[in-house]
Amino acid sequence: MARTNRTPGAESAGKYRRNLFSWVMLTPGLIFLGAFLAVPFLLLFVISFRDVDNWMNMLPTYSLNQYLEVFTSRFYLHMIWTTLWVAVATTVICIALAYPAAYLLVRAPNRTVRTALYVILVSPLLTSVVIRTFAWIVLLAQNGLVNKVLMKLALISEPLRLLWNLGAVIIAYVQVMLPFAVLPIATSMGEIDPRLRQASMSLGAGRLRTFWKVTLPLTIPGMMSGAIIVFSLAAGSYITPLLVGGRLQPLLPLAIYQQVLQVANLPLGAAMSITLLILVGVLVAGMGLILRRWEGRMHG
Amino acid sequence: MSQIVLRNISRRFGANWALKQVNLEVREGEFFSLLGPSGCGKTTLLNIIAGFLEPTTGEVYIGGRDITGLAPYRRDIGMVFQNYALFPHLNVFENVAYGLRIRKMKKAEIAARVERCLAAVRLEGFAERMPHQLSGGQQQRVAIARALATEPKVLLLDEPLSNLDAKLRKDMQTELRSLQRRVGITTILVTHDQEEALSLSDRIGILGDGELKQVGTPLEIYRRPANRFVAEFIGQVNLIEAQALPGADRPPGTLAFAARGHFAAPGEPLRLYAEEHPSLAGRESVLFMLRPERIRLSPEPPEGAAGVVELRIESVVYAGSAVRIAGVLPGGGELSALSSDPSFPVLPEPGGILYASWEPGDLIPIE
Repeated sequence: MARTNRTPGAESAGKYRRNLFSWVMLTPGLIFLGAFLAVPFLLLFVISFRDVDNWMNMLPTYSLNQYLEVFTSRFYLHMIWTTLWVAVATTVICIALAYPAAYLLVRAPNRTVRTALYVILVSPLLTSVVIRTFAWIVLLAQNGLVNKVLMKLALISEPLRLLWNLGAVIIAYVQVMLPFAVLPIATSMGEIDPRLRQASMSLGAGRLRTFWKVTLPLTIPGMMSGAIIVFSLAAGSYITPLLVGGRLQPLLPLAIYQQVLQVANLPLGAAMSITLLILVGVLVAGMGLILRRWEGRMHG
Repeated sequence: MSQIVLRNISRRFGANWALKQVNLEVREGEFFSLLGPSGCGKTTLLNIIAGFLEPTTGEVYIGGRDITGLAPYRRDIGMVFQNYALFPHLNVFENVAYGLRIRKMKKAEIAARVERCLAAVRLEGFAERMPHQLSGGQQQRVAIARALATEPKVLLLDEPLSNLDAKLRKDMQTELRSLQRRVGITTILVTHDQEEALSLSDRIGILGDGELKQVGTPLEIYRRPANRFVAEFIGQVNLIEAQALPGADRPPGTLAFAARGHFAAPGEPLRLYAEEHPSLAGRESVLFMLRPERIRLSPEPPEGAAGVVELRIESVVYAGSAVRIAGVLPGGGELSALSSDPSFPVLPEPGGILYASWEPGDLIPIE
């Protein structure tokens, strides 16, 4: 601790004043978050324990019935499973595709090229998800660009069913979320001291082995950060699957959307929301823990 | 047979030549230092030997074999970096074992070799630590152990001690030198610290502006700098330009000169007597180097000295073991002298007068 001339009382008073100032600055944000995130979330939690009658009116009784329905019906269990594996597949593909892109970004020959590559990478984020997803409909539809090209090349005799399935959902997810994977990987790759690669080579390791033994392990934190972002986004989106997969895909966000806005069974929708939140939370916390362990090992 | 040979090495970056026609032979088992100010090309030269850079022209030989185009991982070179470059995700054992695993050594053999290398740098019992848990000096030793573990032909050290504090640096210098002697490995050290180069090396190469200015033992470099660049770079010096006085009176065995910028009285050039030397024969004008520690200072004019000059003290810097005194001559021109502490019972004050004298042999002619 640095020693100062101030008396302990004056010091703590100053600290108190600084603290007070920070809290005053934070107040508007905290009020906003409280009113529009914490309170609705609490309501959602409470509603998930309410019962409904046959006309979906909420009854004044509380029970675990909604959760029992989610966890006992094969339909919903299958849906949970599908949601998770689609998110995992999206994450894995995203990381695999993001890695070479990040490499290219970090190894750009000069600043101009690097800036240009960053702009190209981030520019899709400037358009809305709806528009980006609609572009995939144009490409993948029965009379879309992909089918037309394949037909013209006589590789297929009738159009392939490319839209309205989980494959289309994953393709669109990957395209939408790729930048979120590239950026953290590029950051962690750029932080690697080039002398570590030189040290590896001076010890006799070729380029490939240097990549496996030095570059790859040191970019694990970046990959984990990217994976956490992509996984949570992919497990919770409903616009993209709705547009390219259709509303019948067995994905939890779609089911929540239907229960709340079409069936109007608010308690069941709330129970599914809480379930999804907890599942994603547990998995993300697990990934976060691995990340922390790894960074603790390297930097203490 | 010399172990490392550089022939006509040049390297260009854009329009700049970082290295110009460097020729150098480093002998087997020698501790050789490349010394020079920052930006002189010494790190470029080291990177060329290591294979991280290609020379624009010229060849590199190790043990008689041309390795100019060889990838760094095929050169069998150990390297220690300024920031140590330990792998942060591997513990001390795995760092040292890194090169051995690549060579597909047996497990038991690797364990034995790592243990031996860690013992050589006095780090027994640290095998399980992670690099971030070590002090700077310990990381430095791991880096040296890692570089030596594969028993390379050549050890390259890139300013390995410059991140350590002064006391630790001295200890590591001694340790590094004794380790190098024990292993007997040909070593090239890159440094900008002249004291480090002088105290560690068998020979030193002085680099300036991409050229090798002089190669020699520490003694040769310090006592007989080949040119002005080396004289000014190594230690602090008084440089005195002088003109020959062929007919003048002089003590036997010496030649007389008149200084150009130093005056014993206004308008009266300082008379200098230098030892006769073949390089002085028939020369009109000569640049002399006079080391500050060669100048004797006394409060009264000494008797029987060949040359005595009055010095009005400008500054006195007390550095413990030595006292640095700078002064001006009565007619103009500066001299700086370095005396050992005991020579002044009371420190002289700026503004006071001292008498400076030196032997004819202390005036070293510079090319």
